[in-house]
Amino acid sequence: MRQALILAALALVPGLGQAVYFRDRVSWRSPIPASEMITVTQARAWGGNAIWVDARPDEEFARDHVPGALSLNEDRWNELLPQFLAAWSPEKKIVIYCSSQSCNASREVAHRLRNEAQLPNVFVLKGGWEEWLRNR
Amino acid sequence: MKKFLWRLVDLVIAVIFIYAGAVKVLDPVQFANDIDNYKILPWTIGVGLAFYLPWLEIFCGLALIFRLLYRGALSILTALVAIFTIATIAAKVRGLDITCGCFGHASQNWNFPAHLALDLVLLAGVILLFYATGAKPRDLKGA
Repeated sequence: MRQALILAALALVPGLGQAVYFRDRVSWRSPIPASEMITVTQARAWGGNAIWVDARPDEEFARDHVPGALSLNEDRWNELLPQFLAAWSPEKKIVIYCSSQSCNASREVAHRLRNEAQLPNVFVLKGGWEEWLRNR
Repeated sequence: MKKFLWRLVDLVIAVIFIYAGAVKVLDPVQFANDIDNYKILPWTIGVGLAFYLPWLEIFCGLALIFRLLYRGALSILTALVAIFTIATIAAKVRGLDITCGCFGHASQNWNFPAHLALDLVLLAGVILLFYATGAKPRDLKGA
């Protein structure tokens, strides 16, 4: 027990250091900062200045999707990312959605676009596809 | 020979945990998202764990390699893997489509059986080490 406590305490030191280092890069209050969430109405108002990204699996995208949306999911990330980047331009805002409010795919894709592809103006659609259907 | 085999097992387990920890240390935000996917803990606690757990895995892995605080490391790893296994099963039962998060993006596409199999193999490994070695590093010095 004493050994476990020592190890637990030791791990706390770099953990705290890293938390301080990353303090501006992660929100402790919510998975997605409010500034990175977007409602259907707000996203629609952007019109042609927005690229819609469907983060759901291929079969759901094939069934139906937001008109003009591009498919970009983690199952085929390496294959779909170049297609997405070909359609993207710096002035465009990226609106990502997955199936519902509780899904995570849009968040994951947003995280990867920001961190791996280093893209700005990445937003997650509040309520996802279900919300878009309600407002169609 | 037997001692050599157990030494090999704890080296393999140590390397797995050090690798898993290192990958997550490099992207704690992704790991926080992975924890949140399980829908068990509030986001704030998940973020705290995302900064802490990877280091705990690394320290426990190093403890296994260097035979320091060995018994403590095995206790922690047994508890961690048991919790991961229960959380994985609970997520599946609740119909959550989760990404593993075990090894960062390297494990993003793992399905449930693969995820569960890894948890169970690791759990079996640490429990076996606990009993096989009596978790007394001094006994193994001649290995």
